[in-house]
Amino acid sequence: MNSRTNRTTVRLLYLLSSLLYLLFTTPAHAARIGDLSETSLWDQALRFLTFQDPSVRYALLGSMLLGISCGLLGSFLVVRKMALVGDALSHAVLPGVALGFLWNMSKDPVAIFIGATLAGLLGTAVVNLLKQTTPLKEDTALGLVLASFFAVGICLVTMIQRLPTGNKSGIDKFLFGQAAAIGAADVQLMAVVTGLVVVVIALFYKEFLVTSFDAGFARAVGLPVQAFHYGLMLLLAFAVVIALQAVGVVLVSAMLITPAAAAYLLTDRMHRMLLLAAVFGMAAGALGAFLSFLGNNLPTGPFMVLAATAVFAAAFLFGPRHGIVARWWRQRSRAARIQRENTLKAIYHVLEARNFQGEGVSFSELAERRRETEEEIQVQAAALARHELATLPGEADALFLTPAGWQTACAIVRNHRLWELYLTHTAQIAPDHVHEDAEKIEHVLGEDMVRELERRLNYATKDPHGKVIPGVPVMLETKPEATPGYGRSA
Amino acid sequence: MSPPPLEIHDLTVAYHKKPVLWGVDLVVPPGKLVGIVGPNGAGKSTLIKAAMGLLPVSSGWVKVFGEPVAKNLRRVGYVPQRESVDWDFPVSVMDVVLMGRYGKLGLLKRPTKADHDKARECLDKVKMLPYANRQISNLSGGQQQRVFLARALAQESDLYFMDEPFSGVDAATESAIIALLHELRAAGKTLLVVHHDLPTARNYFDMLLLLNMRVVAFGPTEEVFNYETLQKTYGGRLTILSEVAEAVRVKG
Amino acid sequence: MNELIPLFEFQRVFVTPWTQDFSSSVWIVLMGFFVATACGLVGNYLILRRMALVGDAISHSILPGIAVAFLISGSRGSLPMFLGALVAGAVTTVLIEVIHKKSRVKQDAAIGIAFTSLFAVGVILISLFASKVDLDQECVLYGEIAFIPLEGMVEFAGLTLGPPSVVRMALVTLVVALLVGLFYKELLVSSFDPALAFSLGINSTFVHYALMAMLSVVVVSAFEAVGAILVIAMLILPGATATLLSHRFPVMLGLTVLHAALSAVLGLHLGVWLNCSLAAAMVVAGTGLFIAAAAVFGYQQTHAHEHSQNNNLRGRRGD
Repeated sequence: MNSRTNRTTVRLLYLLSSLLYLLFTTPAHAARIGDLSETSLWDQALRFLTFQDPSVRYALLGSMLLGISCGLLGSFLVVRKMALVGDALSHAVLPGVALGFLWNMSKDPVAIFIGATLAGLLGTAVVNLLKQTTPLKEDTALGLVLASFFAVGICLVTMIQRLPTGNKSGIDKFLFGQAAAIGAADVQLMAVVTGLVVVVIALFYKEFLVTSFDAGFARAVGLPVQAFHYGLMLLLAFAVVIALQAVGVVLVSAMLITPAAAAYLLTDRMHRMLLLAAVFGMAAGALGAFLSFLGNNLPTGPFMVLAATAVFAAAFLFGPRHGIVARWWRQRSRAARIQRENTLKAIYHVLEARNFQGEGVSFSELAERRRETEEEIQVQAAALARHELATLPGEADALFLTPAGWQTACAIVRNHRLWELYLTHTAQIAPDHVHEDAEKIEHVLGEDMVRELERRLNYATKDPHGKVIPGVPVMLETKPEATPGYGRSA
Repeated sequence: MSPPPLEIHDLTVAYHKKPVLWGVDLVVPPGKLVGIVGPNGAGKSTLIKAAMGLLPVSSGWVKVFGEPVAKNLRRVGYVPQRESVDWDFPVSVMDVVLMGRYGKLGLLKRPTKADHDKARECLDKVKMLPYANRQISNLSGGQQQRVFLARALAQESDLYFMDEPFSGVDAATESAIIALLHELRAAGKTLLVVHHDLPTARNYFDMLLLLNMRVVAFGPTEEVFNYETLQKTYGGRLTILSEVAEAVRVKG
Repeated sequence: MNELIPLFEFQRVFVTPWTQDFSSSVWIVLMGFFVATACGLVGNYLILRRMALVGDAISHSILPGIAVAFLISGSRGSLPMFLGALVAGAVTTVLIEVIHKKSRVKQDAAIGIAFTSLFAVGVILISLFASKVDLDQECVLYGEIAFIPLEGMVEFAGLTLGPPSVVRMALVTLVVALLVGLFYKELLVSSFDPALAFSLGINSTFVHYALMAMLSVVVVSAFEAVGAILVIAMLILPGATATLLSHRFPVMLGLTVLHAALSAVLGLHLGVWLNCSLAAAMVVAGTGLFIAAAAVFGYQQTHAHEHSQNNNLRGRRGD
């Protein structure tokens, strides 16, 4: 873990510094965004992608920086099941933004930063207070703080807009976000905050990990769990506040939750989740800034959120392990394997019924045995042939097992009969109750478990119905597929 | 004489001014395997949490090896209830066991190679080494419990608190755990184990603490485990009493 | 600062609204009252079912429903709006369920992802088709309650009833109140003990979706007046305040209505004084009432309810 977390930190720092390099080295010439009004989509895209306009660079850098810090802190929110705390906190900063603005009636990044952070922290403190001193539950307390702080903020914002100087203040841009409004001072503040977030998480990674996973244990080893909780809240407030200008108060919580949730679906380790969430957040930020730049006066926040949602949807659907498609595919291939094994079993039964005389099994025999039509049998036979478990000589409507097919058929019948015997013998279940169970178990018994059963049953050779339990012919390659399921229960 | 591993004096714990534990006095001698038994809501988990300082206490004090517990947490190991954590959490078995080393590491330090070796050794003791790189949600209940035990072993403590380590585990894990507890006791450690199942309690532990908001009885198992004290602990609960009667009969 | 907070003139703040501006004030206050009552009645059940944040989610995510309804029907008619909101509400509920059940993402994160995505779609639709959609971003956030008196009047059978949105909201409130009255015991039982409800033959799933449908309709009709986010306050504040004051459900429902009336009236005066968004001012007034209730009763209730007999309701849900 030592070297792995270090590597993660190094990668993040590398990401950050390359962003800053981009900011300070690219030459600045060309008009500002607002200067041209009649431009085509293509021109706009080109202008954005060449980074000639400094405000484009600021917007892009700022969006990427906020994506990193939101992704990192959002990961902790998601694994701590505190996603909606992020939502409440991000709405609660609005009155702070307004008060910071009132400080000297301008969009001073530092004043707004301080005001908004204080309001956010006050909001989380009030949630705790409500939970402790009233019978209200957490969800109600969160909703209450979210909405009432927001209402106070709206009162203040509308009061500011009524002022002679307030109308062109751009404070309304804080509601839905306008990345184009990000200036050099904003980007510097964002870089400082993002750097702080990366460094703090890297330094206290193990403490954040254990307090998030098992707070009780963390306290029992003497860690100041509360301090880490409040530290996380403080960083979270910072991340929300630097994201405000580009994403807006209303949708900031999505930048916290969505990239982190997408990362959560793709990996099983916290340090990788942090890295992925930071990358996803950065990508969503950049894409959102780009898309909103294409239109005239479009808000940035919603585009970033949709970009993040697209990443989440991709992870949800196509994630290699937990994705819907992958799971559906696994289920399907398992069902297909069980189908093949059942056909093989039926072939074995047919052969057994004629005392293993003759090698070929005709489709009609098989159809009768399985109580299915010959067409269905043909499909199954084709599936067996595809997996080289049987051969289908063209002229006859019959199939012949390959050595591998014969081996699998024996193994399945053996599993079935062994399990029936085990149930009647050891678990004292009546012989006419065991078939259904064995129909399922036969497909999942692993080799080790079979050995164990054979040993426990004293290498019996007949099943409870008096039929022979086949041995499995020894061959070059053994089982066709690894058996999932076994090995999970100790 | 060296101070006892655990000394509790007049401990009272209350939730919302309603006492859950009341005037608990306890001195646990070293090298004993102590079972804590009592009905649901008797305050068993509360007792061990309060003893470690995880809950605010209304009155009383706890000393571990003669010092207030907060000063001596490094000599205390803890196995929380399995249900107390989210097993979908993105960590591997190894990560969890390494957490046992965090208390000794201190802030800002990373686990070293020695810590990894120690964690591997502890995983091996609970026969979970082959699973070291698995994510924890891919484990059975018994395996999860073994991981928690390995983490406690990695703490290398002298006094262990375990909250229902036998709940929801298979028979193989149960006997593995009990062997491990005996091994720890042989190494001179003191263990306090919250236990739910009365019939096995008699066989597993050297000493029993019968708890029902107050200490009903505490002493060597053969002295404490009798119909009278158990009836005092469990009150008139008939099903449990018949279980106890059976257990007493088997013993006699 | 002096510019920001206008002088407090008693005449202007308290008298003028009810004399000179009576005809507009009365409709604004009525609208505020109806919105807060309808929201509060539904919100009581959300609080009881620990679904306060589902209310949050739905109130955000009806936005694309409304925007699409506008774009398709080209009008601001009630029916398309209700349909759009119902569909959007259903989509939200289903999305949350699917994300939460089909992956290991927990419910809180699923809620957060679903509603922010839908809200983002709504905002984008509105800003792309701003000229076609008679809505702007500010209206989405805090509504246009102040413009209600400008709407003109609805007449029915020779009687002047009032501005159309107020009449509509009054009808919605009436329907909600009727439904809550008619299905009082079904809603209560299924909210507090689904197992008991099942044994009594009440279909809890149906009640759940019916409640969500009611929520969507209430939220969409409140939307124009108070916007998407202040609706959450209207949903939660009355019920939360009532929870602090009483443990008996019928009393809580009554207190909800009282809270709604008081916050509408006090909000009007606050908004007139500060010259800010009237809808936000109503929520701030409601928050003030909540704080007062919490300061006076909140602390005592916590300790009383440990022992109180009639509180088994909350105790059971706490398990």
